[in-house]
Amino acid sequence: MEDEARQRAEEAAVADLVTQYAGTLYRVAYSVLRNAADAEDAVQEAYMRVLRHRDTLHEVRDQRVWLIRIVWNVVLDRKRRMKTRPETDDIAELARVLPAGGLSAEQRASAAQHHAHVLSCVEQLPAKERQVLMLSAFEELSSAEIATVLGTSESSIRSRLFRARNLMAGLLNHPRSLR
Amino acid sequence: MNTSKQNQFADAALSEAEETLRLIARISAPEGLEERVQAGLRKAKSMASTRARILHWPVALQVDNAWMQNLARTAAAAAIVAVVVGGGWRVSSRFQPAQPSSAVVLPPHSAVQGGFSSAGAMRTPQTLNGPVIAPPAPAAKPQAAAIVKPTSKAPLHRRKPVSAKNPVAPAPR
Repeated sequence: MEDEARQRAEEAAVADLVTQYAGTLYRVAYSVLRNAADAEDAVQEAYMRVLRHRDTLHEVRDQRVWLIRIVWNVVLDRKRRMKTRPETDDIAELARVLPAGGLSAEQRASAAQHHAHVLSCVEQLPAKERQVLMLSAFEELSSAEIATVLGTSESSIRSRLFRARNLMAGLLNHPRSLR
Repeated sequence: MNTSKQNQFADAALSEAEETLRLIARISAPEGLEERVQAGLRKAKSMASTRARILHWPVALQVDNAWMQNLARTAAAAAIVAVVVGGGWRVSSRFQPAQPSSAVVLPPHSAVQGGFSSAGAMRTPQTLNGPVIAPPAPAAKPQAAAIVKPTSKAPLHRRKPVSAKNPVAPAPR
């Protein structure tokens, strides 16, 4: 009887986590995978992992960061396994997804192309710098939280971010200079 | 002047790039995402509950004491293991695996029609000459000449024989 009540409470807690953070996790997943269906699958997988470890939920201090860390790992796993998509797919997906209010079709296409170019430069960064740069774009994540997600110190996050910006500036001026 | 312009350009490009990343980070989640995730979790939960179900004892065999129940469960598990192991041993002891043949059987050689025939010739393998074993030499008879007689010549360091008459007397100098 007690077990059943406990189980129900844990399931309710997981359902609460879905309501609160599914959107955040989706955005984190999308920033890496850049495909709506893949991002949704990653969110689903992350919550499945949470469900498997639901009995340890009460031990988690910051559930939001914990969840972001889980989805981040899921997403990196998937990215590793996935074949690289052609750049044209990225451009089409970005043109579809990114907000482009008041822009003509031509402007929209050129904006999407610019975004795709920026993202291709991001892809050329070393993994550690790239990850920090991507996570820093999330306004709701402080550098301490990014450090928790990536399992490193805050000072290391700051130095990686500095390096990433320098490299990125170089890449935007002289593309493919890292290769 | 030139470098400061370049820096400005780089900064502008960088801020544009960061704006792109921020735009992606602000993308809104698709409609109905939460419901779909909830439904997925419910489905997974129901699948897990049907997959992993513990067999309960029949009502007639239920024991009140939890310790006794554990003991009964352990005994039942041990009995199952004993039956399985015993059965396996019986089967393996009855049927011995066939010994693999040591000689390799080759298929009979069939002459191809129209090809060259060996005309009945048989190939005899060239063998090496074996070691020649010499017959044992006959034992030589001991000859009279071969018998060495004791020489009359005395060795150089030989002392002079003591006279028979006066064996105690010292040898003359």
